[in-house]
Amino acid sequence: MWIEALIAVTLASAAVVFLAPNKVAGKLAFVLSLLPVGGSLWMYSTYEASGNALLEGSTLAFETNYQWVVAGPYSLNWHVGLDGISMPLIALTTVLTSLALLASWTPIQERQSQFYGLMLFLEASLLGVFSALDFFVWFVFWEMVLVPMYVLIGVWGGPRRKYAAIKMFVYTNIASLALFIGFVALVFGLGDSVTTFDMPTVAQALRAGELGSLGPIGPETLKVAAFVAMFVGFAVKVPVVPFHTWLPDAHVEAPTPVSIMLAGVLLKMGTYALLRFNFTMLPDVAQANAQLIAIFAVVSVLYGAMLALAQTDLKRIVAYSSVSSMGYVILGLVAYTVYGMGGATFQMVAHGLISGLMFMAVGVIYNTTHTRMVSDMSGLASKMPFTVAVFVAGAFGYMGLPLMAGFAAELFIFLGSFGAFEGSVLFTAAAMFGIVIVAGYLLLAMQRTLFGPFELETDYEVGPAAFHDVAPLVVLILLVILLGVDPNIFFGMIQDAVNPIAAATGGGA
Amino acid sequence: MAALPFELAPAIAALPFVSFLIALLVGAFAPRLLPKGGAIPGILATAGSLVLSVWAAVAVWNHPDGMYHDSITWVAGVGDAAFDLQFGILLDPLSTMMLVIVSLVAVLVHVFSLGYMNDEGETGLPRYYAGLGLFTASMLSFVFASNLLMAFMFFELVGLCSWLLIGFWFREPGPPSAAKKAFLVTRFGDYFFLVGVVGVFATFGTTAFVGSESFPILADQVLAGEGASVTTFLGLDPQAWFSVLGLLILGGVIGKSAQFPLHTWLPDAMEGPTPVSALIHAATMVAAGVYLVARIYGFYALLPQVMALIALVGGFTALFAATMGVVKREIKQVLAYSTISQYGYMMLGLGAGGYVAATFHLMTHAFFKALLFLGAGSVIIAMHHNENMWDMGGLKEKMPVTYYAFLSGSLALAGIVPFSGFWSKDEVLYEALVHGLESPILLAAYAMGLLAVFFTGFYTFRMVFLTFHGKPRTDTARDPHAVGWNVKVPLVVLGTLAAVAGLVNMVPVAEVTGIHLEFLHDWLDAGPEALTAHHYADLIPYASGEIGSPLLTVLLSAGVSLGLALSGAGAAWLLYDVPEPIRHTDRLGRVKTVLFNNYYQDEFQVWLANGVTLPLARVADKFDQGVIDGVVNGVSSVSLFSGGRIKRIQTGVVSNYAFLLTMGLVVLLVFIGVTGGWF
Repeated sequence: MWIEALIAVTLASAAVVFLAPNKVAGKLAFVLSLLPVGGSLWMYSTYEASGNALLEGSTLAFETNYQWVVAGPYSLNWHVGLDGISMPLIALTTVLTSLALLASWTPIQERQSQFYGLMLFLEASLLGVFSALDFFVWFVFWEMVLVPMYVLIGVWGGPRRKYAAIKMFVYTNIASLALFIGFVALVFGLGDSVTTFDMPTVAQALRAGELGSLGPIGPETLKVAAFVAMFVGFAVKVPVVPFHTWLPDAHVEAPTPVSIMLAGVLLKMGTYALLRFNFTMLPDVAQANAQLIAIFAVVSVLYGAMLALAQTDLKRIVAYSSVSSMGYVILGLVAYTVYGMGGATFQMVAHGLISGLMFMAVGVIYNTTHTRMVSDMSGLASKMPFTVAVFVAGAFGYMGLPLMAGFAAELFIFLGSFGAFEGSVLFTAAAMFGIVIVAGYLLLAMQRTLFGPFELETDYEVGPAAFHDVAPLVVLILLVILLGVDPNIFFGMIQDAVNPIAAATGGGA
Repeated sequence: MAALPFELAPAIAALPFVSFLIALLVGAFAPRLLPKGGAIPGILATAGSLVLSVWAAVAVWNHPDGMYHDSITWVAGVGDAAFDLQFGILLDPLSTMMLVIVSLVAVLVHVFSLGYMNDEGETGLPRYYAGLGLFTASMLSFVFASNLLMAFMFFELVGLCSWLLIGFWFREPGPPSAAKKAFLVTRFGDYFFLVGVVGVFATFGTTAFVGSESFPILADQVLAGEGASVTTFLGLDPQAWFSVLGLLILGGVIGKSAQFPLHTWLPDAMEGPTPVSALIHAATMVAAGVYLVARIYGFYALLPQVMALIALVGGFTALFAATMGVVKREIKQVLAYSTISQYGYMMLGLGAGGYVAATFHLMTHAFFKALLFLGAGSVIIAMHHNENMWDMGGLKEKMPVTYYAFLSGSLALAGIVPFSGFWSKDEVLYEALVHGLESPILLAAYAMGLLAVFFTGFYTFRMVFLTFHGKPRTDTARDPHAVGWNVKVPLVVLGTLAAVAGLVNMVPVAEVTGIHLEFLHDWLDAGPEALTAHHYADLIPYASGEIGSPLLTVLLSAGVSLGLALSGAGAAWLLYDVPEPIRHTDRLGRVKTVLFNNYYQDEFQVWLANGVTLPLARVADKFDQGVIDGVVNGVSSVSLFSGGRIKRIQTGVVSNYAFLLTMGLVVLLVFIGVTGGWF
């Protein structure tokens, strides 16, 4: 019942905050958001599960499964539960939401109760996405995420917020349609043996080779078509090049806390779903096309990094660098090794924390300088040393400095993918070059904005940031270091959950 | 339960790390509680590391295995063929020697900083001492790392610290730019290193340096056909694939040790405070690269092509950098190029099979280069932070302690007998010569190294004479700022070491007299079998030649290099040891311009970054905005237009929607099927 309680408390908090007066909404939302943080930490500390949620022989944590709706031969189940892949993401979601709420206090100055209410509603939906094990339930949560996101960007965003919000909404919604069709086609293709949308049932049936024909379409074609439909659907969310162009627009227009949620958690929905659906349910298709998928990964890494290098807006730099970092996740997934897939999952958490940190730091700078253009400022370090120190630490985290979470994640991915499939040595080596470009654009941006003599194009007084602006940054950097020094905090359970997928496909390393 | 000095080994690196934390946290929240801005905790911590390092070295010497090794599992692998990732400490003669050097130089640099930073009224001292502490801790951890992965991790952290310290004066435009360059250029090298680390894991399943399951041993067994089996990639046979791995790891070495073509960051790094330069050049960052090659020498010794390349890069870098040192105006610039050149010698030594010789030079260089930088720092204090040698002159009388210490370091750098640098450089050249007599590539590397000796003698003494001799050329030089004990003590300690450290391994004297004087050789032979000098000597793929007799070869080698060093120094003496020296290098004309601009290497690399990479990024951005996003927006405007027409089918009847949805699915699948050719 813990997952239900977690989601219900968050939803109830959202409702309470929605009705609260604007003045207290921010503080109230933050305090209430500590409930799910405490809940998820408690769940982590009592977590006991083994195996992968979708595959046979697993024990799930906090599982509930009962028949919800019966429609004809089909039944919809309320099935939720956690394994080593979803548990870290649940923890990430609650912690990052709390910190994002804290980071909202300064920039959000109007309609606070609605803003904070929607943020909590967003959190509840995300918790649902990461814990649902019935496709229908999962899809409802998946779509629920879009609603608050659309409003948060469309109402509290920058000058071009409407364009950005609609673009994001339409783009990801079309993607949802593709993945919906893809998955439903698979379920129908399984025929009478599967009369439910229960993800473990579907996954095990598919892996057992029970897929039949759907009308005139043979099982092999159906499999590939469904894989493509779902891959495209999730690739938009990740985003994988060339489906990424909604992301920078959304980030640039979104207010800081929304960017934190977008980069920190929402993008992980895409990679999480890729892992759960494409890579767990249809491993043979993924492995047969490993090179093609690896090309998408490598292009995302290098092309995304090159785009980041070309940007002159701090926020766009961080936004494009997400494209690059998420490319590593794809590379890790397609490796089908414990290090590769585990590293990919670990990267979801690591990148969630680090990109959240970077967006937050850029936001703090924007709050004081009212500009994000690299050319508009220099030498901020002498005016806001503490913020700059954390910015620097976060940037080095992004560059994958050892003993920080990003390094561990990328190292695992590289270790896992090197030699994992035909051509993987060259793909891995090519993708790894991203670590040089990321250092290039972040160091260049820092040199120009943070160091040198102090100059600023705007007329705002620049001083040290408020405590509640800096505190979440410090919490994040400490978490990043903690996970970098001891990845086992999550990596052990992650390995346990991805091992069945890797082992079944022959890649044990 | 291991012996106490071994049990305490983690503290060698932990102590400076604690001083980093103290300087960082107390400096941020209660700066007044921090004595001397963090210098005192730093000095105590590094002194503690020094004591523990010496103790560990003694314990290694007395230990029957000649080493101590312990490791913990950082991340345990899951699955059939998975490998564990480990953190471990390896104390053997090589690593304990390096630990002593690093902690000694670190403690002296901390003391010197009291004079260079505190007494000069610098702000931001806690940040400075925090950086020094982290730098020392990272380097010490790198040195005692027991596997390649851990070495890589601290190798990178050393890079971070160099960024922090080179960019210490961040309010000026120069230092942040230099810091960025240093990190970026070494990161470029580290990229290859990381690919190498991952490749070693994939090949051997381990990156351990020591033990029967270590990768150098496995590689040896594979190449000898003794049963061990490994996975190779890219369709290469083990010999070729191991060479690829060796080259990849070498990328990191070339970046950190500032070898051609990745040497360009190092002269720029002079933007940092001078004590930091001393630390970077003598004992930490730059030394890390060469140390790494020595650490996995058992692997490199199996790869003749890679060894030859190391020797060639080293010999070339030694000569190339020495020529640039000849024309520099600023004292620290001369020293920067001398560092590049001297590490070239170490690479030459390693590549030529002279493991002991290169390690020896690593040690003597650490002493005399730290000395020269600290001496230069003393001069810079005296000159009120003017570094231009043409504004100095005649400082000899005003600052005798600095002068004699600096002179000792200069004699060592130039390789004049009996100062330390002579013995070590001579041994490097001797190894290159005897192996070069049987291998033309090594002979070419030797020739470049030998020629560089002349230039070294010249630029070293040009620097000495311009700085200390002649008449003062400016008012500041006439009335220099006095320096305190905290500057003089480190200079005296290092000045003595630079003079006498060479006595530990006097190969030519040993050969002539027959007296056993090769103590360093004995020391490096004391470790576990697979990490000893004579094991490496068995492995190296070279035959030795001689000219006449072994004795004659030794004497000839020493005589020629000493003669060249003396003639270089003599030329400088003739030209610059006059009351009012003139700019003789101007007579070189265009050659000087080329040298002064470092053969346009910097321009080339800046062009690669600004002229190629950035425009490429902008093209990618244009493409992204115009083409990829253009398609997205184009699709949406088409659908908006058609949406107006299609609005009519929005009936609100769910069954119609269901029909359309199903039709859509069918059309989509048919489309994909047809285009994908699956029917």
